[in-house]
Amino acid sequence: MSAVISARNLTKKYGKQTAIDGIDFEIPAGRIVGLIGPNGSGKTTTLKAALGLIPFEGELRVMGLDPRTQRDALMQDVCFIADVAILPRWLKVRDAVDFVAGIHPRFDRSRAERYIANTRLKPEMKVKQMSKGMIVQLHLALVMAIDAKLLVLDEPTLGLDILYRKQFYQNLLEDYFDENKTIVITTHQVEEVEHILTDLMFIRDGKIVLAASMDEVGERYVEVMVPADKVNAANALQPIDQRTVFGKSVMLFDGVSRAQLSALGETRNPSVADLFVATMKGTYA
Amino acid sequence: MNTMKWLLRREFWEHKGGFVWAPLIAAVIMVVLVAGVVGYGVSSGKMSGDSITVRVGGTEVHRSQMADLATRHSRTEMADVAANNYIAIGAPIFIVLPTVAFFYCLAALYDDRRDRSILFWKSLPISDSTTVLSKLLTALVLAPAITIGIASATAFLILMLAGVAVSAQGVNLFGPVLSNVNLYLSPVYLLAMIPVYVLWALPTVGWLLLVSSWARSKVFLWAVGVPLIAAVLLKWMDYLLALYGATINADWIINNVVETLLLGLIPGAWFMDGGTAMPASAQHGVDLLSVLGASWGSLARPEAWVGAAAGVAMILGAIRLRRWRDEG
Repeated sequence: MSAVISARNLTKKYGKQTAIDGIDFEIPAGRIVGLIGPNGSGKTTTLKAALGLIPFEGELRVMGLDPRTQRDALMQDVCFIADVAILPRWLKVRDAVDFVAGIHPRFDRSRAERYIANTRLKPEMKVKQMSKGMIVQLHLALVMAIDAKLLVLDEPTLGLDILYRKQFYQNLLEDYFDENKTIVITTHQVEEVEHILTDLMFIRDGKIVLAASMDEVGERYVEVMVPADKVNAANALQPIDQRTVFGKSVMLFDGVSRAQLSALGETRNPSVADLFVATMKGTYA
Repeated sequence: MNTMKWLLRREFWEHKGGFVWAPLIAAVIMVVLVAGVVGYGVSSGKMSGDSITVRVGGTEVHRSQMADLATRHSRTEMADVAANNYIAIGAPIFIVLPTVAFFYCLAALYDDRRDRSILFWKSLPISDSTTVLSKLLTALVLAPAITIGIASATAFLILMLAGVAVSAQGVNLFGPVLSNVNLYLSPVYLLAMIPVYVLWALPTVGWLLLVSSWARSKVFLWAVGVPLIAAVLLKWMDYLLALYGATINADWIINNVVETLLLGLIPGAWFMDGGTAMPASAQHGVDLLSVLGASWGSLARPEAWVGAAAGVAMILGAIRLRRWRDEG
């Protein structure tokens, strides 16, 4: 099986508003893909379409299945955390584990219990007594114990403090991810996921503006600290973004050879956040 | 099958308060009240040695104890009446059921959309039809069965307390009551009415689930307001049409449609408006077995099946909405 998710001309309209505008993309197995875009860019809509939660136009296959008509079969292999802290308030930790163990054929109970044992969650605790961070820990414990082929995370750490956030991604990477699994993450906190991503997809106004592996991104984009006397020469190479730090110009180039750029000043790989800001320039203007 | 078992358990976890604690509290209040009266009566001697005195012109002409009056034959008869009718004592508990079930159905497909936990349930391999079916079974089978259990136990306890009260007067009915087979069959007769209840309650449950899975807010207002406003409009149209000598038969529609949508969860709703005749009260009160017979007989009425079909259609609508409603 080549692609876990493949989309052809995927379109979603809400009335006259176009949320996704005929996008094409492929996500191969064994990747961790960051789907990154500003608010209202269509990233959550894309994920909802892939999870069979909303109707859409165009073609979309998730593990070879159509999420519109084959959702029940699809959910055997797909798991998702949509939004933070959405577990029902009356649910007890013990009951949650029992329930998922009872209905999910791929759930490994001991795994969930082991993970819970490392937190401050107690079996008799109800969700309404937990902090937001603890709810996410419980949810993650349940999800990580499911041997799903595709895990979709939509803003899984929004509103959590940095300790919970770091731990969340660390657990995901160390205890969950392997070459048979695929993870798709959307988040605003780009800095925290960029080191775990293998692929990057930028989405803007319902269109994909960048889809590349992290390696390709590293080759394509270079940031250069340009001293004042070389600014004109640098501008001739058409930087896609430019800002000033301590009197020096920091310029971002797309597809200009590194050798050529190093003549202009100190080069380095841009952070995903800088790349994102440069790509999304003018979104809210 | 296994999934259904866990889904039913899930409903039970969430709604234990309504389906178990509410009838149980009603039961405890009833038992405590009766026990208090009996206990007070027996301990203060107000119930013992009561005698019947006949005076003529102030002169006592006859005096006899209750125990002497109750002949062997009349004791058997009293026991018979008691064993046949004691279950009626549980009636207040059966009023709890439709109330709880009504609000349960309204919340069933709405609450998890409101708090967005639907996204958690939907992340598990459970089809929407299984989910809706589990709510249906909870409201129509599980809840009535629990209610019957609690109501029967309550009625039995109160019957025993009554036995204590009359034995304080020297009339021991325990033997004939406890050996009367109807004592044990009554709860079974009630359970045997559940299928009838399911069919008559389907339109109400279907309507409530439909609203529950459709409304973005104010489910109660939609579920009750729409039929009531429709009823008022129908009445008004009928009034206007009457000026031209025509009618749309508003009363008939209100009786058959609006009531079916809103009142179907009341146990024995099929006896309402004389739709199905309640069996005539015999010498020993209404015999539960003939009530059971009349209940099953109510299924011969076409309304039962038209209503059930409409209920099923609305449930299918609820499943479809559950499948595609975008929760934003």
